[in-house]
Order: sequence, then C-alpha cells, then structure tokens
Amino acid sequence: MEKPKFVYVTHINTTPEKLWEALTNPEFTQQYWGGRRVQSDWTVGASIKHTKADGAVELRGEVLEADRPRRLSYTFLTAAGDKVPDEAATRVTFEISVAFGVTKLTIVHDGFAPESKLLGEITNGWQAILSSLKTLLETGAPLPFTFPKC
Amino acid sequence: MNNPQKFVYVTIIATTPEKLWEALTNPEFTAQYFFGTRVESDWKVGSKFIFRRPNVITDEGTVLRAEPPRLLSYTFQHLWDEEMRKEAPSRVTFEIKSLEEKSGKLSGPAVRLTVTHEDFPPESKVFPAISNGWPSILSGLKTLLETGKPLPLHLHLEE
Repeated sequence: MEKPKFVYVTHINTTPEKLWEALTNPEFTQQYWGGRRVQSDWTVGASIKHTKADGAVELRGEVLEADRPRRLSYTFLTAAGDKVPDEAATRVTFEISVAFGVTKLTIVHDGFAPESKLLGEITNGWQAILSSLKTLLETGAPLPFTFPKC
Repeated sequence: MNNPQKFVYVTIIATTPEKLWEALTNPEFTAQYFFGTRVESDWKVGSKFIFRRPNVITDEGTVLRAEPPRLLSYTFQHLWDEEMRKEAPSRVTFEIKSLEEKSGKLSGPAVRLTVTHEDFPPESKVFPAISNGWPSILSGLKTLLETGKPLPLHLHLEE
C-alpha cells in the first residue's frame, strides 16, 4: 500500500535560478503564498519558518537539502493552535529541472500519517500556491485571489 | 476488478469559465498548448471527438457530458501507440468553477479547473503516459490564457 503523499508537477516559463529565488525569498513568497513570508538562511540543518501577514508563525521546519537551483527539501511542522491540523512533521521537496526548454517544478509532500487531515489541507493549499507562483513568474503579478484567513 | 488509479490535477487560472471552455473545445486554441493537437467535435452528448496532429489521429472518444461552461466529460481511447491502443477506453472530466462565486472578493476573474482522468484497466500503460502528459498540457493552457502566448516548449514529435 502506497503511503499518502501529495505530488504536483508544473511547467513554468522562467529559469531555474528565478524559480529558486521565488521559493526561498520572503519578498517573493509573500506575493503568491497567501501573504506568507518563508524565511531561512537555506543551509542544511538551518531552521525555516512561515510567517503570516499578521506576524504569527504558522509553520516551522528544518532544511534537509539545499542544492541551488535544483533541489530543496525541508521538514514541515505545523504550529500548535493554528488553523491547520497539528500533526507530526512531514517533508516537502522541490525538484527543479528543465524539460523541453521550459523549467519544470515537481513538488512532493510526504511523510503523512495514514489518516492525515493535514494532507487534504495542504493539497488545496499547494494547488492555489503553485498556480499563483506560476502566474507571478510568467506575468509579473500573482493570481487575483485572496486566500482565506490571511 | 477496477483499477483504482486516478489522475487528478487542479489548476487556478486568471480567466473566465467561458474563455476556459473555449480553450478546451476549440481546435485553434488546443493547437497552441496541446503539442500542436487539434481537438475536433461538435460537443454534443453522444458525439465523437478526435485529437488530431498534422498526419495522425492520436486519440478519440465519445462526449458523455457537455454543460458549457461548467462541465465536460468524454471517454478517451488512445490510438497512436501500438500497445496502448489495445487498451479499453478511460474517462476524462473537466470541472470549471469560478472562484468569484466562492469568495466574492477577487480583483479579477479566476477559475479553478479540475481535470480527472480515471477508469483505467488493470496494469494500464495509458495511465502513466497521461499522468506525465496532463501537467505539461495544463501548464501550457494556463500560460496561454494568462499571457496570450503558449509555453515555449521545444518538442520533437514524430509526425
């Protein structure tokens, strides 16, 4: 039986370097990630946090791999008391490659418990975040929607 | 025994449901983001549709549901690859939802497109092929609708 995980592939008209920057620079992330600033020094073992627009820390994690601009992986631990279900740490991995002359981003979010409630939440979240990331990199502006509770 | 494998892909696109419907059903649009493939049908329930590349019909099927601009569903039979063309048909469904209806606080139009491809036979060879193909096709669709230009994919397709 395969373990529950989220996998998503999107092709973006940008360079791997610009995509890496968009994933790791809080000035970029707050534009497409529902106002979240994703902050870390992006060295292996360094801490990472997602801060909401109101300053509350939503997620914490630790950088597992950082091979700029090809591969980034970190643990993903929801903050107790936040809206997202409080579960054991999971793991998110971004793989960046070039396919047919266009930058390809593969996101794998795994490590979920068998009956995880978090998986459904992050599935909805990633679909919106990654749609807006692509739009931001291709048009210079994020998608025109507002995330709930931001 | 049915194959539980199911491909589901969701993408949010800054466009209207009507424009997205047009992009899914009009060959002048599909040729721009679907590896040069023209989709041809009158989009009536029970009608046939085909995917046509310059010298080959790659896939065909029958329209199951067509409710513009919200829902489109068809059976899907691959025809090009010798092995895959022997497989029983699967089923593709496009669901289009306007995000304005949901949140009511958008600065511009946006729609949520859900593509579900299912009903594969056991040990399907089509399933891994479409799982690889849909993300690049749907990425190209989003880019075309948002920027007016297709993704500059450099493909070397047999014709």
